[in-house]
Amino acid sequence: MLSVLICDDSMVARKQAAKCLPEDWEVAVHFAKHGKEAIEAMQAGKGDLLLLDLNMPIMDGYQTLEFIHQSELSPKVIVISGDIQPEAHERVKRLGALDFIEKPISAGSLRKLLRQYGIIQTKEPETPEPLQVDKLDTDIRDCYQEVANIAMGQAGDHLARILNVFVRLPIPNVNLIEVSELHMMLQDIELKDQVSGICQGFIGPGVCGEALFMLSDSSFEDVANILGVEGEVDDQLQLELLMDAANILIGTCLTGLSGQLDLNFSQGHPIVLGQHRSISELISDNKVRWRKTLAIELSYGLEGYNVRCDLILLLTEESMQVLNYKLSHLLED
Amino acid sequence: MSTNLQLSDIAEFHWMMDMLQVVDVGIVVLDREFKVRVWNAFMESHSSKLPSDVRDKSIFSLFPELQENWFRNKCRPVFDFKGRAFITWEQRPYVFKFPNYRPITGVEDFMYQNITISPISNVVGKVDYVCMMIYDMTDVATNKKRGEALEVTLNELREKLAKAGEKVV
Repeated sequence: MLSVLICDDSMVARKQAAKCLPEDWEVAVHFAKHGKEAIEAMQAGKGDLLLLDLNMPIMDGYQTLEFIHQSELSPKVIVISGDIQPEAHERVKRLGALDFIEKPISAGSLRKLLRQYGIIQTKEPETPEPLQVDKLDTDIRDCYQEVANIAMGQAGDHLARILNVFVRLPIPNVNLIEVSELHMMLQDIELKDQVSGICQGFIGPGVCGEALFMLSDSSFEDVANILGVEGEVDDQLQLELLMDAANILIGTCLTGLSGQLDLNFSQGHPIVLGQHRSISELISDNKVRWRKTLAIELSYGLEGYNVRCDLILLLTEESMQVLNYKLSHLLED
Repeated sequence: MSTNLQLSDIAEFHWMMDMLQVVDVGIVVLDREFKVRVWNAFMESHSSKLPSDVRDKSIFSLFPELQENWFRNKCRPVFDFKGRAFITWEQRPYVFKFPNYRPITGVEDFMYQNITISPISNVVGKVDYVCMMIYDMTDVATNKKRGEALEVTLNELREKLAKAGEKVV
């Protein structure tokens, strides 16, 4: 079995690189915290492919490359670094690295490189896709956007009436995205805050998907105020608030969608994704099964309060067939 | 002819009611005053309260430990906006305290519950009733708690191992 050695001093970066390896690729993965560890591992026969960071303590990426260059070792090396200066690219290539990927690394870019250098076999996308959904047709996208807009407006209205506050309505973001892109999208939300999340499956005839609701941890005090909850906001209470807010938003949004599309959705039980975690952690557990998804991204704010919540509706590729059909009727009218 | 139709209607109604009775999910229908209108066999067995005992009585008087304000707030969006409300065992282990009914193999003292509250509209679309569905989640909860306990033990062992490793170096 091919052995992949990931060398980075940051644990997060190591994990991320490991996650970005092609899912269907059977390899042994090893880790090293700096160049010296990497070399020891390679001398022990590990690391046919080395994913190497540049800035590390003890022995940095350049030194490691130099050492490899002068030794018997002959791993294929791809450098992964946040250093985006052209000079750095040139230098590592002179030192024998195959190529350079900028951080943050994405599964797509890594796969492309691995193919390019023949490290993995080019596998054609399995079975010709039943429908062309690589790009969203502009008309259809407008349509999704509008439908989402209306549903959101209704949800916002309900929310405003239940909470008695003014709800700032966002412009919904509708996109067809891949797994790696979902991660990136979530990283945008992640910026500075920890979040608690809930996901809930929903299903109607021919359409199914999942609603992902995330509330930033700094919002809880204010949410408690608005909902008129007294007492200290402990974990238990936060979960309650999270569930209530999610119920209202997901429920009303789905009702809005189902009304317009003439579809009835049933909802599964909400599942707590976790409390006080970073978003990437929240969704890392289940990224294996799907490739593409239609994502409708809504982010709500409440005027006068420090409340941020994000609702993402993720619909499966198969669902789009039914949705497109329904929407095309709307377009004709 | 019409009598036949009526008979088959009644027969159908009968087996549908029967189905409500035997399904292994608690079903409770409440009106706007939170009085019990339907109480199926699951609820009867686990609470030891007969349908005739609970019918038309307020759920709050039947279960004094149920916090009235909290529960009314949960049901408000269901009555007002026809949304569904969910209560999970992670959030509240139970709403109705039912003892564990597996005295030999059960490890928890009570039943963990997931609850869905759904609106029931009348012919003009107004919500007069809500339907509560109570699911037994005890096995899931037990497994999850076991898993978490294992993770903690594992982490402790890992830390010990790391410390031991440092000493050797």
